[in-house]
Amino acid sequence: MSEVMTDEQKEAFVAKLRKEVGTTGTPTTARDPVNQPMIRHWCDAMEDANPLYTDPDAATQGPHSEITAPPAMLNAWTMPGNIPRVNDPKDPASGVYAMLDEAGYVGVVATNSEHVYHRYLKLGDLLTGTVKLVDVSEEKQTALGIGHFVTTETEYLNHHGDHVGSMFFRILKFRPGTGRTAGDGDAAAERPPRPRPSRNQDTDFFWQGSRVGELRIQKCLNCGYLQHPPGTRCPACGSTDMGYITASGEGTLYSYVVSHHPRVPSFDYPLNIGLVELEEGVRLVTNITDCDPDQLKVGMPLQAWHMQTHEDVSIPVFRPARVPRNPSTLTFDEVSVGDELPLCPIPLTPTLIVSTAIASRDYQDVHHDRDMALKKGSEDIFMNILTSSGLSARYIGDWAGPDAVFKNLKIRLGAPNYPYDCMTMSGSVTAKQEADGEHIVEVSFRGQNSRGPHVTGTVDLALPRA
Amino acid sequence: MTLNYAYHSAIAGIGATPFTKDSGRTPMDQAVEACLAACEDAGLPPEKVNGMVTYSAEQNPEIELARNLGIEELTHFSMVHHGGGAACGVIAVACQAIYSGAADYVLCYRAFNERSWHRFGAGVQDRPAGAEASEVSFSWSSPFGLVTPASWVAMFATRYMHEYGATTEDFGRVSVVDRDFAATNPYAHFFQRPITLEDHQNSRWIVEPLRLLDCCQETDGAQALLVTTAERAKDLRQKPAVIASAAQGAAEDQHMMRSYYRDSITGIPEMGLCARQLYQSSGLSADDIQTAIIYDHFTPLVLPQLEEFGFCDRGEAKDFIRDGHLGRDGRLPINTNGGQLGEAYIHGLNGIAEGVRQIRGTSVNQIENVENVLATAGTAVPTSALILSQPQ
Repeated sequence: MSEVMTDEQKEAFVAKLRKEVGTTGTPTTARDPVNQPMIRHWCDAMEDANPLYTDPDAATQGPHSEITAPPAMLNAWTMPGNIPRVNDPKDPASGVYAMLDEAGYVGVVATNSEHVYHRYLKLGDLLTGTVKLVDVSEEKQTALGIGHFVTTETEYLNHHGDHVGSMFFRILKFRPGTGRTAGDGDAAAERPPRPRPSRNQDTDFFWQGSRVGELRIQKCLNCGYLQHPPGTRCPACGSTDMGYITASGEGTLYSYVVSHHPRVPSFDYPLNIGLVELEEGVRLVTNITDCDPDQLKVGMPLQAWHMQTHEDVSIPVFRPARVPRNPSTLTFDEVSVGDELPLCPIPLTPTLIVSTAIASRDYQDVHHDRDMALKKGSEDIFMNILTSSGLSARYIGDWAGPDAVFKNLKIRLGAPNYPYDCMTMSGSVTAKQEADGEHIVEVSFRGQNSRGPHVTGTVDLALPRA
Repeated sequence: MTLNYAYHSAIAGIGATPFTKDSGRTPMDQAVEACLAACEDAGLPPEKVNGMVTYSAEQNPEIELARNLGIEELTHFSMVHHGGGAACGVIAVACQAIYSGAADYVLCYRAFNERSWHRFGAGVQDRPAGAEASEVSFSWSSPFGLVTPASWVAMFATRYMHEYGATTEDFGRVSVVDRDFAATNPYAHFFQRPITLEDHQNSRWIVEPLRLLDCCQETDGAQALLVTTAERAKDLRQKPAVIASAAQGAAEDQHMMRSYYRDSITGIPEMGLCARQLYQSSGLSADDIQTAIIYDHFTPLVLPQLEEFGFCDRGEAKDFIRDGHLGRDGRLPINTNGGQLGEAYIHGLNGIAEGVRQIRGTSVNQIENVENVLATAGTAVPTSALILSQPQ
């Protein structure tokens, strides 16, 4: 059945897949009630420091008056965990997945998740989810491969029968190896290295520093004067006793250019080049990575990292700095349509991808096992969709403040989040309204990695009036 | 310190080749033509020349040029550092040589095929790594892709816009002025091809915030100037353009095109240093200048030059420009030859020749009642400037 089908066979196959559309499966009850350890594990992995999730004292003062689970955890509670999956023949979605597997569409990737939160989950809530098969698409050619989109909707009740939330969810089941090949992959592989820094005894400390992840700035050991570029003698006091400090790597953008032409083959264009003023007071020319040209602003906070350019050379470059969590909460009146959220970089370490997958109880091998990920047509392990939701919620929550109440969270995935890349979150306020006595602000957001947008979405937040 | 050679020398002859995009000739051949033309313009036999001054990036050695010109003995020869920043510096050094008695007649020249042989605008991308200080200085910018003159200047421009509220349209207005004058100069590459501000805004990005029409041309060609004492110049064929003063300047924490580490990067302190020397030694001020050649390799740095010379206050060049003061009927028409965007990019020397024509009254875009003309040299590098005056 994994052979290519004729149009007639395809039509019959889709009809078979769609037979169960509109029916619901057996309700699935979570293995554990909502509990603090799982919440803490999630918050640690997502780096979500909202105290309402883990600090009973803070939670008492908050809008729910007790500890609540991060709302983006909604579907983590009923995940099966690391036990063999048994397809429930009565579950329409499982049946469709099995048929697709059998037909060769063994690749799987989640593409859409839309949570609606009727109320936040409290410790002890025991969730039951009921899945309804909503749609199965025609066969489609996607970037990942030829496949079918399968859409489900899950309603969640707690043990009192309260309707706590719902999830609209879409996955793509695809044939590995049938995707579009990236056009410029070969060009990137043949790219010559960047111009090699010229160095001598006066400047070696700087490059040796970058090689070990330190941003070193020359310091006069007699008077303490800092200078960059380095010299051989202190212009302030005349001493030749020169050393260096290791800078914190925090700075702000003093000026910048976006280079378009002429194109030097070593670089990607348009190319962001910045003049960064370090918090220690000196400036240096560098690249601003993980940031679109139109996101550059004089004064924006930046954080250094070190990019390896040759086997034995690294250079200090900068990306937008993660802005600290807002400890107070924005009020409805403080927020205007058009307000921009600060940029937030999320370095995609293997640790982040694996730990968040496990914290969200997603044991699909493609999220933690590189061998299996490669076998299933992926370039590497990649971030699971629940984490994309969780990190989006963290980003929005860190801006809005701890008492902001999520009413929903709708995301759509694009380019996968592979390790060693960086995803930069951006967002803006796109609507404000009063509804049912609540003051709702809509935020549209995007998480972009080096391949393009990984996640785009919207969220409605209820904010306090004053 | 004062410049004691003020008003002592004059530019007695100017000569140039046609300015092209593909000369089909060697730069040396063009240098010879330009130098002979300058001597012919002055009515001086070339063998009388005993001093030659050029500036770095010049690839035509003065000794070979002297051989081709039939000059037997040279008693002064020098190479002024920092490329276009030395355009007026060569005149300053010629003045010093003449005032000291080291030379009587000095040829200052520039010749290259910087469009057809090697693209000057390509920058330093192919510069090999090395341990000398001149190479090491590029390590603080080239590994990050900041490798072209346009990109080096753009970094100043973004900060200037941020601090003073100037816009890319203000840069565009400089370009429009240049092209307006070029349109009526048959010698200009862009003769009869004026542009509008809309054309400027529609031109493609080179290095944001610089567009194509903010960048000077690349040119094949040569320009030569003959300098001697104002006294001797009186006996030559043309009305002397007296060098009221000429000065060089490098300021604190100066770097080549990338002086990004000063407290402020929106001014040009090395140009301010030139302005102070010129005004002090000549006794002139901004009010005495009727027209100027403001170095325009890239339009954004025209603005702080106007401020350094006191034509407007710090940060107010944008208003001066918006009020139309650089155009034909403005307070200070600039670059009446079309500048380096409109006429040609001979590293500033063609602009000085236009200054001479304004003193003589022979410019195709002649400004009325010209007493004194300011000319400036390349900015962001150590630089230079001069004032030409009517003979007394």
